[in-house]
Amino acid sequence: MNENQGDNADDERTERAAPDQRAGVEPITDGGTDRDVVEIPKTIELPRLLDFYELQNAETTEIVEFYDNLRDGQLTTTECRECGELHFPPRIVCPECRSEDLEYVDLPHEGELFAFSTVRAGAPMGMEDEVPFVTGIVDLGDVQLSGRIDDAEYDDLEIGDPVELKIVEIDGPVDHERVFYRFEPQE
Amino acid sequence: MTRNVGIVGGGHTKWGVREASYKDLIQEAGKATFEDVPDVTPEDIEGLFVGSVQPERFAFQTHVAPMVAELLGVDVDSMIARTELACASGQAALRYAWLAIAAGQIDTALVLGVEKMNLPREYTPEAQTSMANVMDREFDGVNGFNAPPYFAMIAQRHMHEYDTTREQLAQVAAKNKTHAANNAFAHFQKEVSVDDVYDSFELSPPLCLYDCSGVTDGAAGLILMSEEKAREVTDEAAWITGSGQTCLGSNSINNLPSMSAWPQATKAAEQAYEQAGIDDPVAELDVAEVHDCFSISEIVEYEDLGWVEKGEGGKFMEEGRSELDGDIAVNPRGGLLGCGHPLGATGVSQALEVFNQFRGTVEPERQVPDPETGLIHNLSGSASVHSVMTLARGRL
Ligand SMILES: [Zn+2]
Repeated sequence: MNENQGDNADDERTERAAPDQRAGVEPITDGGTDRDVVEIPKTIELPRLLDFYELQNAETTEIVEFYDNLRDGQLTTTECRECGELHFPPRIVCPECRSEDLEYVDLPHEGELFAFSTVRAGAPMGMEDEVPFVTGIVDLGDVQLSGRIDDAEYDDLEIGDPVELKIVEIDGPVDHERVFYRFEPQE
Repeated sequence: MTRNVGIVGGGHTKWGVREASYKDLIQEAGKATFEDVPDVTPEDIEGLFVGSVQPERFAFQTHVAPMVAELLGVDVDSMIARTELACASGQAALRYAWLAIAAGQIDTALVLGVEKMNLPREYTPEAQTSMANVMDREFDGVNGFNAPPYFAMIAQRHMHEYDTTREQLAQVAAKNKTHAANNAFAHFQKEVSVDDVYDSFELSPPLCLYDCSGVTDGAAGLILMSEEKAREVTDEAAWITGSGQTCLGSNSINNLPSMSAWPQATKAAEQAYEQAGIDDPVAELDVAEVHDCFSISEIVEYEDLGWVEKGEGGKFMEEGRSELDGDIAVNPRGGLLGCGHPLGATGVSQALEVFNQFRGTVEPERQVPDPETGLIHNLSGSASVHSVMTLARGRL
């Protein structure tokens, strides 16, 4: 994807003299005919923590209620019972007043497209096979959040278009159920 | 009570897709930096500040500041650290070196910015993963929000709200890339027209490939000294007259103040202008190196650095006010669009460019006539942080 112009190759590197041809140097090894071979894996599987989705379970996050609600079909976020601040992303401590007395509240599943573009190349790891895809920012009223826009082409979309939330299942390298939200144009 | 601090020298590697390792780049930049100021040696360095963003991902190496000390033969007496502030890591390193000297803790500091971004293989997706992780990985990175689509949305909103045109974006790219054509260390050394920008691959609409800075390997270094010490080694310096930095407690999409304005940049610039005694930046600044990671960024910066009214950034470009002979010569180095953007090295290179413009050592085709005052600006990540530094020519 990048506009790289290669620099000149350093040809000297390949023309370097073999060890036994260097003046005044006694060869220490036989030049590679009888070396021990160290086996390392030809490929290394993507570790589960390096895919883009969190593990979403109680062992790894204190906002597991957000993910449980999403698994149940509802996008939620935290609201502070002390000061009334609505957060997104969900928190465990209110950044406004430091209270831990937070409750999960429902967010609307319908909103307006605020901005969008397409990822055509240079996608992050694990998303390379999905390009091109549309991603954008959706205005849900009290919250503006980023999200993939499914079932849409860039040229067919306009700022202000009505979109609705959908929940997708993540089929990846862990056994337990993982989900995430995306958006799609309203019918 | 702070002390006057000056940049007294600096050096650069060639930038590009380098057939060189992270450590090779450090050594090349260090050598060039010390050669620029023969009366300063590694033994004189009391503080070392290394700007580098993701060596863990791009070079599989951490704790890089002591590695720089070892490679360059620097025994650090007082302060050593790497700074990580995404795309502004180089300016962050420079800012902390300035603060340490201004506060009287040390007299001499080495600032080195370095990034090795091109992995010799099929691992572009891994590098792009690292870039997407500068936002909230869990809620933004997961949606494919790396730099091109994110800044494409800034362009879309700015065009929507202020009638900025696609042509004005292309004019920024053509200007900066054409400056880079006359810069010996730049990654992209080809003159580019507005039509060339339109004809390049539409990477993330409305942005095309030439609206985007490259993935670049490179390093740059600077030596900073207190005024008292500087007088012993040189008769020319770039004084750091002001330095501001702002983050409005936000990094993820829902919490950013705007998708078409950067009030953080305005605040950071106001801090720097106040320290420098600059009342009218357009009249008083001669040269500026601003963070054109994407063409749209430079247009937003004209506005939010306080040079024109909000929404007038496109016209500032169109009317030639940011050209070499304009009101402020913007990005004579070639910018990130032309030089490439080895993340940790960019801010260091920008400051060196301003010093070189002051002392008249850049290629004549891109020399600004007799500049006396300059500015460097970096944004980082989702533009959640802005860093601004003002500089003035010093004759000792
Ligand atoms: Zn609260």
